[in-house]
Amino acid sequence: MNNDCMVEIVDLRKRFGHHEVLKGINLKVKPSEVLVIVGPSGSGKSTMLRCVNGLEHASGGHIYVEGIDVTDHKADINTIRQKVGIVFQSFNLFPHLTTLRNVTLAPLKVRKSNSGEAEEKAMRLLDRVGLKDKAHAYPAHLSGGQQQRVAIARALAMDPDLMLFDEVTSALDPELVSEVLDVMKDLAREGMTMMVVTHEMGFAKEVGDRLIFMDDGVIVEEGPPEDIFTNPRSPRAVDFFSKILSHL
Amino acid sequence: MKSVPPALVWLWFALVLALVALICVLVVRMLRTHQRRAVLLALGNGLAVLILGFVVSLLIELPAIDRFLNEFLNWNIFSKTWEYVIKGLVVTIELAVVSEVFILVLGLIIALIRISRIKAFRFFAAVYIDVIRGMPLILQIVVIYFGLGYLGLNLSRFMAGVLALTVCYAAYEAEIFRAGIESIHKGQMEAARSLGMGYFKAMRYVVLPQAVRNVIPPLSNEFIALLKDTALVAIIGLAEVFFRGKEMMGRYANVTPLVWAAICYLIITIPLMRLVQYMTTRLSLKD
Repeated sequence: MNNDCMVEIVDLRKRFGHHEVLKGINLKVKPSEVLVIVGPSGSGKSTMLRCVNGLEHASGGHIYVEGIDVTDHKADINTIRQKVGIVFQSFNLFPHLTTLRNVTLAPLKVRKSNSGEAEEKAMRLLDRVGLKDKAHAYPAHLSGGQQQRVAIARALAMDPDLMLFDEVTSALDPELVSEVLDVMKDLAREGMTMMVVTHEMGFAKEVGDRLIFMDDGVIVEEGPPEDIFTNPRSPRAVDFFSKILSHL
Repeated sequence: MKSVPPALVWLWFALVLALVALICVLVVRMLRTHQRRAVLLALGNGLAVLILGFVVSLLIELPAIDRFLNEFLNWNIFSKTWEYVIKGLVVTIELAVVSEVFILVLGLIIALIRISRIKAFRFFAAVYIDVIRGMPLILQIVVIYFGLGYLGLNLSRFMAGVLALTVCYAAYEAEIFRAGIESIHKGQMEAARSLGMGYFKAMRYVVLPQAVRNVIPPLSNEFIALLKDTALVAIIGLAEVFFRGKEMMGRYANVTPLVWAAICYLIITIPLMRLVQYMTTRLSLKD
């Protein structure tokens, strides 16, 4: 077990019934690295990401986050999750709370911060994602792009060391995608460790330090995004990138 | 030719008056297109009542109608008994409100056990819900009151009623709570858990506030049902509205007190039903 790694995944396997979705994943993510994960749907990208913060239970193998094994039943998953922020495709904001309360809920209830501090910090985070003026609006009154930016602020409120992004722009109208990607680019520039499942190849190329291509539950290719885009080796990756990059 | 008794004249007069009023209301409402369906329905109903009244008056001898009115709508008996009967409403409302408090607490607890990750807990809750819902409430009331008496626990009739209604209605409301909780998208629980909140914190601050809002209308309907079912507690001798109505019916050998008891329930339930409908529309408009 290497302590220099933010995340180390060792022979991760995941079965749903008889269907094996992850067939032995080995992966390391260094601090401040931005890892982009691409692949066709059903390849296991999201499942792998969800295993990292314990939303899915691994069927085999180990996942170490800052040296703590997430797959160990004795591990305190709630403490690990405070260190790992996740942003979902479907936003999952709390609809009964205002934007501000969405962001302050976890600090107040989990970390027992005092409300003044929590609110001040939430306002800073909302300012950072450009939504300070929407602090008292309810999620239903925000656009998809705005909701997703609030979701990012909400995750950042717990001061995570690692951020997981699970196809965060896939549910957005095309004109709203960039506002979310811009927030993510800022985060990357500030040195946040990120694992990003995405179909945004432009983003992958610009921000990604490393890219992995997954297919059918295994990592097929791994390397700098530019190299893989221009020179994929496996036939499956050639096929995938030829379809997806033809629009660029 | 038979002479027409005054009661019948009044009956017809009231009927025609009601019909005229109905038509007036309808004409006003006709102006709105989207209510035309309701208007036609109401018109049909009015017509049906008219025809039915006409047919009944042809079939039944006039003295029979007089006897009926004397038995069911007797002013003399009413004036002697109405106050005693309506005082039972205090007991009825107390019984319903006190029970409802316990029902909400117990119902929610059972619902949470019902969806627990521990199989034995789930099984226990499912058995409780099935057994309780599979038995008549009146039987549960009797068993609890007399059964606890034999065990040396002498509950008052009121408290036995509260206990029986709680045990029974908690099973129904647990299912409503469960449906409400399960209607909240699982992404909500995931998002809360991902922020480091434990299961119960996520339930308390994220899932339940949304679930409760969704189940307010069905829970209110259950409360109305509960209010009516308090009448069953009369079987162990609690002097609520129905018990008092029946008591007076026995004393005067006349059904009028029981008709009045029915109206007493309506005084409470009809406004409540309107209120629930109003709330339901308000809640659905917000979405």
